[in-house]
Amino acid sequence: MEKGLTTRKIVTAGVLGAIAILLGVTRLGFIPVPTAAGNATIMHVPAIIGGVMQGPFVGLVIGLIFGVSSFLDATIPLFKDPLVAIVPRLFIGVTAYLAYRSLKGVNEITAIGVAGFIGAITNTLLVLLIAVIRGYIAPGVAVTIALTNGIPEAIVSVIITLAIVVAWKKLDHGTNKKSKISGEL
Amino acid sequence: MKKIAGFEFELTRNITIGQYVPTGSIIHRMDPRIKLASFTLLVISMAVCATYGGNLLALVLSCLLFYVSRIPISYGLSGVKPAIPFILILAILQLLFYSEVASGGKVLLNYGFIHITTDSIRLVVVSALRFVEIIFLSSVLTLSTSTTQITHGIESLLRPLRTVKFPVHEFALIITIALRFVPTFALEMEKMMKAQASRGAEFGTGAWWRIVQRTKDVFPIIIPLFNVAMSRAEDLVLAMESRCYVPGSQRSVSKKYKAYRTDYAALIFCIVFAIVLLAFPFPY
Repeated sequence: MEKGLTTRKIVTAGVLGAIAILLGVTRLGFIPVPTAAGNATIMHVPAIIGGVMQGPFVGLVIGLIFGVSSFLDATIPLFKDPLVAIVPRLFIGVTAYLAYRSLKGVNEITAIGVAGFIGAITNTLLVLLIAVIRGYIAPGVAVTIALTNGIPEAIVSVIITLAIVVAWKKLDHGTNKKSKISGEL
Repeated sequence: MKKIAGFEFELTRNITIGQYVPTGSIIHRMDPRIKLASFTLLVISMAVCATYGGNLLALVLSCLLFYVSRIPISYGLSGVKPAIPFILILAILQLLFYSEVASGGKVLLNYGFIHITTDSIRLVVVSALRFVEIIFLSSVLTLSTSTTQITHGIESLLRPLRTVKFPVHEFALIITIALRFVPTFALEMEKMMKAQASRGAEFGTGAWWRIVQRTKDVFPIIIPLFNVAMSRAEDLVLAMESRCYVPGSQRSVSKKYKAYRTDYAALIFCIVFAIVLLAFPFPY
């Protein structure tokens, strides 16, 4: 990967940031899971994809855009606190990138999947951690949310990240091996 | 349970980004750099302040801002309305299960696992107030400032970060691109949803408890959306590079902002207000 900011990195960050905002305002980025923290979300997926494809800085900026838009757009008091809405989101793309880079040598497809998983988990855990510290939810409730929201979020995030990054990188994954989701759709 | 909801395809209608209410008030005319700085100060102080008195004061200020900017307060209230059920659910949860952390204060009710203390009531009231304040404040900011002004403001406010090699101009460009592409992608998404619905795809028709089904419904929209986005990005990269865009080179701006005395007065007012919220010993 080239050092410094290239035009491609700038544009990718902007475009994926636009998707993050769009998923939020159209409510398409929500998975309806009835819990206290509201719906599970897939709005962190652009940040993960940006981190995997264009490195940590792009992931960080998309995370920031996602955080600020979820802060301005929040309907839940929890996310009207900038500490909860913005700060944890900065790390999504960065951890996803680190996971991807450390596993890339083993198997590219596994690395992308793991990055999707790690990114989603980063979002869930950090948001809940700060929410507990700031006193919005009790630790017990946080564990429940981590299970009911975090797990579906992580699964969906793995599927989408794989589908998009594999297609974009035009990875050859064998002729008789189908992509993980092709049976489902 | 079959319900074809026509409005679900009208994605562009829900997008309030870039919504601007031109009243030409003193807040509209403020220098965007100073407006953003004051806004950030106020939001941080409101997020930290945890007293009844401080939050009431902040609520009064955020209502006053609507009056000063001559924006109808209904814009702010429309942001609060959909949140009321969440606020209530959260308040009940906080009241019932928060005893472990907010155990200070006088115990008002102690029944089984339920402990309600003066501290847990304070927590509930303060987080609801804080929510309303921040919604009002952010509505005033976005309704009185155009997106171009906001990105220019961010760019010049972050300029000091250049000394630590933070790419300020590129960052502002990323935000401009993001805001610019939101309506484009919304249209694109609308097209895809209509195309797929006309071929028999079902969106939002599954019952709400069938979470897996409803999640799977989203994939045929989300994945093409990302692909469209990536190919748009390639086009834009090509267009920018063929016009000799070089990241990190010096460039000038076409619009210069100038801060006047009223702008500085507003900034000083916000600093004082933030200090009062954070440091003044409110009796309650």
